[in-house]
Amino acid sequence: MTHEIRLNTQRGSLFLDVHTEFANEMVVISGENGAGKSTLLRCIAGLEDVSGQIFMHQQHWLDSSAGFVLPIEQRKLGFVWSEAVLLPWLTIEKNIVLGVDEEDFVWFKQLVEQLEIKHLLKRKPDVLSTGEAQRVALARAIYRKPSILLLDEPFSAQAPDIRARLRQVLQRLQKQLQIPIILVSHDVEDANVLAQQHWRMREGKLMVSINRHSRATPGCTLCLWHSPKGGNLKEKKVNHE
Amino acid sequence: MMSSLIISVQLALVTTLILLLVALPLAYVLAFKSFKGRTMLEVLVALPLVLPPTVLGYYVLLLIAPDSMLGGLWQSLFDSSLAFSFSGMVVASVLYSLPFAVQPMQQAFRAIPKRWLELGKAQGMHMKHSLLKIILPASKGGILVAAALSFAHTMGEFGVVLMVGGSIPGETKVASIALFEMVEMQQQSEAWMLALILLALSFVMLLVVYSVNRSGLHMGVMK
Repeated sequence: MTHEIRLNTQRGSLFLDVHTEFANEMVVISGENGAGKSTLLRCIAGLEDVSGQIFMHQQHWLDSSAGFVLPIEQRKLGFVWSEAVLLPWLTIEKNIVLGVDEEDFVWFKQLVEQLEIKHLLKRKPDVLSTGEAQRVALARAIYRKPSILLLDEPFSAQAPDIRARLRQVLQRLQKQLQIPIILVSHDVEDANVLAQQHWRMREGKLMVSINRHSRATPGCTLCLWHSPKGGNLKEKKVNHE
Repeated sequence: MMSSLIISVQLALVTTLILLLVALPLAYVLAFKSFKGRTMLEVLVALPLVLPPTVLGYYVLLLIAPDSMLGGLWQSLFDSSLAFSFSGMVVASVLYSLPFAVQPMQQAFRAIPKRWLELGKAQGMHMKHSLLKIILPASKGGILVAAALSFAHTMGEFGVVLMVGGSIPGETKVASIALFEMVEMQQQSEAWMLALILLALSFVMLLVVYSVNRSGLHMGVMK
């Protein structure tokens, strides 16, 4: 299944100009501060008013030419901000199930164990470390079995060892849920280990889209080059820079 | 003296309860929606702050007089006059204390971190769901302040209730008016007592307001 994003819009001083396609796979976005990475995530989510087209899971989320916007509530998002954004009056457990009507205990247990937050469930957010809070936010986004997972630097506050484990967890979950995961990260390791597509952003544009699949990103007008068949990501990046 | 105090407290309680219900949607639209006439609505809500109470009382009397639409409807429904009645005073008090309920709530709603509102949407919550699960719990402090101020302000009314209620003993004579009459009739010891009770009540209410404002009840902490 292919999903398509075509955005063309001014956000403050930034002109976002993106056209890309991706499958149910892991996409890593990197780039300088202010390049528009977080803005792109917010646009896909529907948290920003933008013009363009977003076609996800064979359904229009946005079609400006027809004046159509699918309300955020109906997009079944899993969104993680660069801050954890936990509600301070709810326990961790209640924070994770926020907005979910039908509870799934098996799924819940699996998630909190894999994300190493099982021991925190009865606590309130104010006693958590930043790293723990970040993992809770990740659990909350995933528990609702989203149609897409949009993550803004989700591992930034994690220690190196747990960060490596979390990458594996994320890979497993992606295979299990069969959804696209778009992850903004400054960590080269995230791109090296996780990325099936790696987008580099600069000044609101996707400058380079490195695709680890045999096919090049189709229709990506702004890509400077595509990696050839079975390309090794690390090597390509060295060549490029 | 006791009957006038009881009437005051009853009036303040009923007014506060009604105000919380009326102020909630008003504060909500003023805090979150932008629409034509928004400033006009804000001015109307704030008007009782600066209007002489007698002016407000005068218009309320016109509004609820038996030959007016509202007064006439009331008369035919309950077979009693809305003017110079407890219910009439409630109508006047709700208008008079409206800004004291709306403004703290509006401020509390505005102070909610934008991310929390986005979170509600991202988690698939509809407006009603977000209101119950995020907006109201996040504004607990502001709602409590709104209730305390509405209560205290209604307890302290004089001009409006005098015009609309007419100071009928046992029915519409509230404590502040009773105090005025006591002083006029030189009932020194009763006046002294009643004044002290009203002072204490106001003090306690403001103590609640300031304690809430100081404590973390509006929960700006974010992780």
